Amino acid sequence: MSALFAGLAEIFEVDESEISSASELAAFNWDSLAIISTLALVDEINGVLLDGQALAKCETVADIEALIAKEAA
Amino acid sequence: MLTARIKAIAGHLPEGRLTNDALAARFPDWSADKILDKTGIAERRIAADGETSLDLAEGAAKALLAQEGLNPGEIDFLLLCTQTPDYVLPTSACLLQARLGLPTSAGALDFNLGCSGFVYGLSLAKALIESGQAKRVLLVTADTYSKLLAPDDQGVRTLFGDGAAATLVEAVEAQAPLIDPVVFGTDGLGGERLIVKRGGFREPSAGADMVLEMDGPGVMAFTLGHVPKAIEQLLARTGRTMDEHDLFVFHQANGFILDRLRKKLAIPPERFVIDMREVGNTVSSTIPLALAPLLSQGAGAPRRVMLVGFGVGLSWAAASVVI
Repeated sequence: MSALFAGLAEIFEVDESEISSASELAAFNWDSLAIISTLALVDEINGVLLDGQALAKCETVADIEALIAKEAA
Repeated sequence: MLTARIKAIAGHLPEGRLTNDALAARFPDWSADKILDKTGIAERRIAADGETSLDLAEGAAKALLAQEGLNPGEIDFLLLCTQTPDYVLPTSACLLQARLGLPTSAGALDFNLGCSGFVYGLSLAKALIESGQAKRVLLVTADTYSKLLAPDDQGVRTLFGDGAAATLVEAVEAQAPLIDPVVFGTDGLGGERLIVKRGGFREPSAGADMVLEMDGPGVMAFTLGHVPKAIEQLLARTGRTMDEHDLFVFHQANGFILDRLRKKLAIPPERFVIDMREVGNTVSSTIPLALAPLLSQGAGAPRRVMLVGFGVGLSWAAASVVI
């Protein structure tokens, strides 16, 4: 998942060390642009198109990881 | 063989401008630089109060006729793509026929599509010409989405601008078709991804409540999922390859989405046209506005260009043309 952490760090404009599965998305700027950017990021690294509304409901990075696992299954 | 070709394009934009500085003043969490960085747009052109799609369409069509030295009497069909018509009825294209002085023997109709509209219009023009029903089709795209945007909706106000483009599609003799068969796509289940709910007859408008609602992540997922598939279908249908295309002109939705699409499709940046910095997302006019300067470069060898429109409907279409 390091590609996901690196990508999220870029989206949130923070250092990669600040991103872990436990990270709360509300601590960053989890706005519509961040959601759109994350959707494109996951498409690029996992080849999976997430449901936008489900992604918007994620509260932690772990939630995003779980959504990717569910969609990829 | 008789084939349709894109002969010329002219654009027309309203005078009003909405800059990133003005947007940053209204939405302080985004700086002007961040808006430019994320959207690829520096300013949008905004129609004045009382200035409509029909006015912009007239401006574009008159510019085209003047540029080509064409007499209005030589146009035998008018196609107008707009989602912001002057009236529920009559058809804006009929009013435009009169404003332009096109012959009363000309056919004229509106069709209601957004970002896919230009490619659909090209297909309709091709069909009219290649079936012998018209010789010179004036295809006009015009919209004033700014009139549908909520003042406090940052997501849409940073993207959309108003504008119009007029394209002359005419019959010529050539060895091979200059507009290949177009591939289409429609998914009405995504109708609410981009919608203005009020103002039709399902939810009549009480006045100033005709507002565009956009599900940004939903539109992004649609685009990244469907555009590559549409291109695969176009290549299969036409028997062509990506490499045969000198240029790619996609609907200029915003810089971010275009950048992701370009990378996903592995298109070299020098062949991928991005031309929206000064106008924003002008809906059905983005493709012709981006094509116009390429056509006027003129004298060089003919180039094959892939056009892909995608958006509200949901609706999409892809074409391979020679300019």
